[in-house]
Amino acid sequence: MEVSVIGTSQATFCSGGELAPCSRELRFCVPKRNGDALYFLDRNSRRRCRNSRLQLTLTAAAQSEPVRSDSFPVQEPATIPDSVNKVKLFVGLPLDVVSDCHSVNHARAITAGLKALKLLGVEGVEVPVWWGLVEKEEMGEYEWSGYLAVAEMVQTAGLKLHVSLCFHGDRQHKVSLPRWVLKIGESNHSIFYTDRSGEAYEDCLSLAVDDLPVLDGRTPLQVYKGFCESFRSTFAQFLGSTITGVTMGLGPDGELQYPSHHQPSNNNIPGVGEFQCYDENMKDQLKQHAASLGNPLWGLAGPHDAPTYNQTPDSSPFFNELSGSWQSPYGDFFLSWYSNQLLSHGDRLLSMASNVFTDTGVTTHGRVPLMHSWFKTRSRALENTAGFYSTDGKDAYEAFAEMFAQTSCGMIIPGMDLSDDEQPDQSMSSPEMLLKQIQAACKKHGVGVSGMNSGLRLNGFDRISKNVVGDENNVVDLFTYQRMGAEFFSPEHFPSFTQFARGLNQPFAGLDSDDLPTEETLPVEAPVPSNAEMQTA
Amino acid sequence: MSSVTVEPLLRYHRRTEVSGLRKVANPCCSSSSLNCSRQKLFHRGKCKLRMRRRSTAPFVIRASSSSSSSTALAETFESSGDVFFRHSFPVTQTETVEGKIFVRVDQENGKGNWHLTVGCSLPGKWILHWGVSYVNDIGSEWDQPPKHMRPSGSVPVKNYAIETPLKKPSGDDPFYEVKIDIDPKSAIAAINFVLKDEETGAWYQHKGRDFKVPLVDYLLEDGTVFGSNSFVIWPGPFFSNILLKPETDSTREPDDVKREDRKVEGIYEEQPITKHIAIENSVTVSVRKCPETSKNLLYLETDLPEVVVHWGVCRDDAKNWETPPGPHPPETVIFKEKALRTLLQPKEDGRGCSGLFTLEEGLAGFLFVLKLNDNTWLKCKGNDFYVPLSNSSILLSESGQEHFKDAPASVKALDQNQGSDTAFTNEIIKEIRNLVSGISSDNSRKVKTKEAQESILQEIEKLAAEAYSIFRSSIPTFKEEVVLEEELEQAPPKKSSGTGSGYEIVLQGFNWESHKSGRWYMELKEKAEDIASLGFTVVWLPPPTESVSPEGYMPKDLYNLNSRYGNIYELKELVGKLHELGIKVLGDAVLNHRCAQYQNQNGIWNIFGGRLNWDDRAVVADDPHFQGRGNKSSGDNFHAAPNIDHSQDFVRKDIKEWMRWLREEIGYDGWRLDFVRGFWGGYVKDYMDATSPYFAVGEYWDSLSYTYGEMDHNQDAHRQRIIDWINATSGSAGAFDVTTKGVLHAALERCEYWRLADEKGKPPGVVGWWPSRAVTFVENHDTGSTQGHWRFPGGKEMQGYAYILTHPGTPAVFFDHVYSSNYRSEIAALLAFRNRHKLHCRSIVQISKAARDVYAAIIDEKVAVKIGPGHFEPPNGPRKWSPALEGRDYKIWESS
Repeated sequence: MEVSVIGTSQATFCSGGELAPCSRELRFCVPKRNGDALYFLDRNSRRRCRNSRLQLTLTAAAQSEPVRSDSFPVQEPATIPDSVNKVKLFVGLPLDVVSDCHSVNHARAITAGLKALKLLGVEGVEVPVWWGLVEKEEMGEYEWSGYLAVAEMVQTAGLKLHVSLCFHGDRQHKVSLPRWVLKIGESNHSIFYTDRSGEAYEDCLSLAVDDLPVLDGRTPLQVYKGFCESFRSTFAQFLGSTITGVTMGLGPDGELQYPSHHQPSNNNIPGVGEFQCYDENMKDQLKQHAASLGNPLWGLAGPHDAPTYNQTPDSSPFFNELSGSWQSPYGDFFLSWYSNQLLSHGDRLLSMASNVFTDTGVTTHGRVPLMHSWFKTRSRALENTAGFYSTDGKDAYEAFAEMFAQTSCGMIIPGMDLSDDEQPDQSMSSPEMLLKQIQAACKKHGVGVSGMNSGLRLNGFDRISKNVVGDENNVVDLFTYQRMGAEFFSPEHFPSFTQFARGLNQPFAGLDSDDLPTEETLPVEAPVPSNAEMQTA
Repeated sequence: MSSVTVEPLLRYHRRTEVSGLRKVANPCCSSSSLNCSRQKLFHRGKCKLRMRRRSTAPFVIRASSSSSSSTALAETFESSGDVFFRHSFPVTQTETVEGKIFVRVDQENGKGNWHLTVGCSLPGKWILHWGVSYVNDIGSEWDQPPKHMRPSGSVPVKNYAIETPLKKPSGDDPFYEVKIDIDPKSAIAAINFVLKDEETGAWYQHKGRDFKVPLVDYLLEDGTVFGSNSFVIWPGPFFSNILLKPETDSTREPDDVKREDRKVEGIYEEQPITKHIAIENSVTVSVRKCPETSKNLLYLETDLPEVVVHWGVCRDDAKNWETPPGPHPPETVIFKEKALRTLLQPKEDGRGCSGLFTLEEGLAGFLFVLKLNDNTWLKCKGNDFYVPLSNSSILLSESGQEHFKDAPASVKALDQNQGSDTAFTNEIIKEIRNLVSGISSDNSRKVKTKEAQESILQEIEKLAAEAYSIFRSSIPTFKEEVVLEEELEQAPPKKSSGTGSGYEIVLQGFNWESHKSGRWYMELKEKAEDIASLGFTVVWLPPPTESVSPEGYMPKDLYNLNSRYGNIYELKELVGKLHELGIKVLGDAVLNHRCAQYQNQNGIWNIFGGRLNWDDRAVVADDPHFQGRGNKSSGDNFHAAPNIDHSQDFVRKDIKEWMRWLREEIGYDGWRLDFVRGFWGGYVKDYMDATSPYFAVGEYWDSLSYTYGEMDHNQDAHRQRIIDWINATSGSAGAFDVTTKGVLHAALERCEYWRLADEKGKPPGVVGWWPSRAVTFVENHDTGSTQGHWRFPGGKEMQGYAYILTHPGTPAVFFDHVYSSNYRSEIAALLAFRNRHKLHCRSIVQISKAARDVYAAIIDEKVAVKIGPGHFEPPNGPRKWSPALEGRDYKIWESS
């Protein structure tokens, strides 16, 4: 048995009499595939689910089979205080937690870190599992030992584990796709996303080859599935107990998107990105699609008048605010095709993953990007190049949320630490409004939302707290904080995180005033001597 | 393990020759000088307390939790009945203490039984590591003494030495001693020893060499071994029975001595030694509720003398510092509105000091750290001291009530279980479970929760600190320049930041061939006016010492400044000339290695000559080529010459002395430090502190990272290594920005100008992270000149100069590019431009473009620069840009 810790709230709902009504709600977190709303039908059930953490852990001791049910109990247990609102907090492990040679990097630091997190009442940790590491040399040869060791460490620490399957590479952290895939790519460039200038993006496979037998006779989808199945059988002993969730990698950075903005921007204003529809297969499919609509000329290439990576929307005609061709029939044709391609890709991968992990007691998730720059323009160019047909009058997120609902997957939304105030005015950005829009779509379709931050920052905690425990529209059940490392535990950062984590677990009513979380989440002021000299020592 | 050199406290015995006979002064006649030296010593000792500490960082106080934490409670603080918190925090600091070693040779009861007694006044586990030399031995080899000489408890070490522990003859005796019987008839010429402290592993030597107590006359005459500083005076094998009692010696007439063929004399010699020892103090805090005012009275006392309490209060568990409203104790000042500083008042009994703080109701805790002086802060296990004030948390109450039993237990657990984290964590988790499940009454639950929270938070902090330190040591950590600079400004004023005015432009005043003429100093002197008129502010001169290689980088006798570049007078003349023109001069100090002058018995060249006649203990132990007997190297080894062991105190002392001498004698204003990869940056800090250079730059040159033969875009690891070195020197020296040179190579050579912005849009070299410590350069005598180890892409040097001379960092221009290339006029224009616009080492650079074929940036919002063949025009907004300089593939604008 293990129970969440620090917040004094336990006192309220852990006393014996109150446990009974909770324990029968174990089923909430079990995904199913019947298309019914899964997580949170409405506010009431959502609330129950947040309490499910306690119930889950209590019954877990008996290791009961997760119950699947097609209908939710409608009745609200009366004893749960109305204001209790719990979000499970996860912390990401370092990206390089498993080394090239399959050993655990910084094992001692991580062991200490896990203990600290456990004591802090953190629910679990997230671990990125790299395709390029596990299936590095040959197709079908999996080396899981490093990650098994991590799972054991997490289990020993009494924490939960959320696994992110990464089918992408990460240049910055020196992780690439499996070598054998890159080798195939050398002779067949069209397995990668390609931009207008013909430059290929080698950190993930193009969605256009999902179902093409380009990998030595097998399709990428089959390879991904083999990977997931191998994972499932290797980690069977952890699934449903230690491992509570899996995130399926869906594209660049693991997110469901095109690599439209991978070129680093040199100033603060992100450009609009570029369409990535220029690999051979994409071009073929575009051509066919255009032909099938009776407009073969539209299928010859992508928009000729689109801007390049770091340009602003108005720098060329396509995304022009007033007269841009995005509003033309051609624009509509292209943008919906481009976005639908991404939607079907997501559907393929998430259906597969959801199937593989059905009945294992883990929830399946997918991550979408938070493309917040240029949100306040009509053409919302950045979202469009990334594959979300969102313009004045169009809401791509509806369709994507529906797809997540149909595949019984939870949606992870990053960037929950971003606030509008911090964005440069010229970028016409609004992370807050975009987040609201996506959440609304999820709510409408009953998709569970998990949150993530964009990176370690000292002043993002306020915003995160607002986003995960704030108003009634939010539907966040789980938040993953990225990411453990030296900076995470640094004296500048960790105290703020501690405060945040504790605040997250605090209920808001029925307790003494000194138990309330503080209003401010200002970074803790270190006394003067602390770091100035440490740095220079 | 460190070795400590000690200076003899007493003057050496002076031997005077009178009519062919020797007279030996009585050691005791110099007792006046003993007193005098002691005073001096005391004085110096006081300074050392500050200087000798291993780090200047805020003192890490390891409050050793095993030590008793509840002793020494406040006695002066009212009745204990309503004291609801009382805790004594142990604080430990390492202090350098002074003591002495004495060496005595005397006779017992005049019976002819002579003893050598070695004693030490400092506490420690002292071992005498000793051996003997026989009369016919040549050189200074040791032999094991004959069995009968060895005191009980001696252990033979290898086949040349004996280790004998020092003991206290009696409990009250201040000295640890060992007594060795000497048989005057044996053929033993001398007893050699060093003193070792097993506790710390430190060796104590005599001027960097063994102590020697010669027993035979002829050794004195030989003179080669001991010179004038031996203790001496032992008659040797033909031992006569006329002994001179030390007490009477001072009054004896020389005539008395004359008649003796041999003199026998007791000797007594003292030397001061220093040792780092842990000093345990404590801080005791008691809190009492004042029944009348319901305020909390907090009484803080400590046995430390003169302490400033830097304190604040907090209102919740988050421990956010804030300042409480007054009244404050006397001698309190507000510090930056975040904290208060109170000077504690000396206690009446004179032992330490104390203070009484009145705190209003409703505060959750009292936070403090102790400030001993500007550099020394005492904290509690790396954190602030924290005293809970809320009445309900009767955390450490002596009168703990029954149902609070669990709580002190958890605190105890904290103290005892430091060693086994797992067990402890499990315990806490268990306790939490108990808390959650087995709760009986509301009241106790609340208290328990609070207490548990306290201890859990402490534990979390401990674990986080552990994780932090491991992560930090195992991965390159990114440090923002901004942070560093701010912190440096906050830090107490540095003695020397080694960055000059910030507006410096360095000229490397030589190339690989400069030694050829034999009169380089003079040739350079002729150019001095030209150098000044070009706008250089600093000139880096070649290594000045006698060297095995003509270029100077294989130094031999450090005090011999006659080199292939000229003699010491010419050097002084040159420096004087440059100074006249307002130019600062850097000396090229080769500290990593030094060439020996003599071979050891194995024929290995590792015995040095000249004024610093170190032996093989000054050579690092881990280079098999040179069979050093020092410690392992603290850095990489340079394999062509013996690497100096900077961990030896005598080496550092000598080097400091040498560098100070160069500063004074030659007039160098600063240093260019050769091959600093070879030893720990902390030693460099030591040298910089000792010499306070105006400007200092180290050569930390290692390879950039490449994947499949192609240079990686991200060179963070490379520059982090350089940053780490600068950090190790505490920022007292800058470093050559090898990273920037490397990235420029790749960018220019392959037309990949996008490399010139890192992932955060900043310059990719050291200059992007810590510009004020980055010395940017295009070429030097190693990379270019006639060596060409890593030559800048040919024909593109001006793009490199356009970059470094417009960007932050301190640019260094290579001699050849000014004086033997056709870039002279272009460089001159760039120098003038940099000076005119007052660009400096901390200028702000904003990168406008880093594309395939062009890189462009705006510096300090007044200068725009582009390099590369591609197109760029600075945007004409509120500022108007006009072109200022132009050359092949570079262009510079200034804003009007």
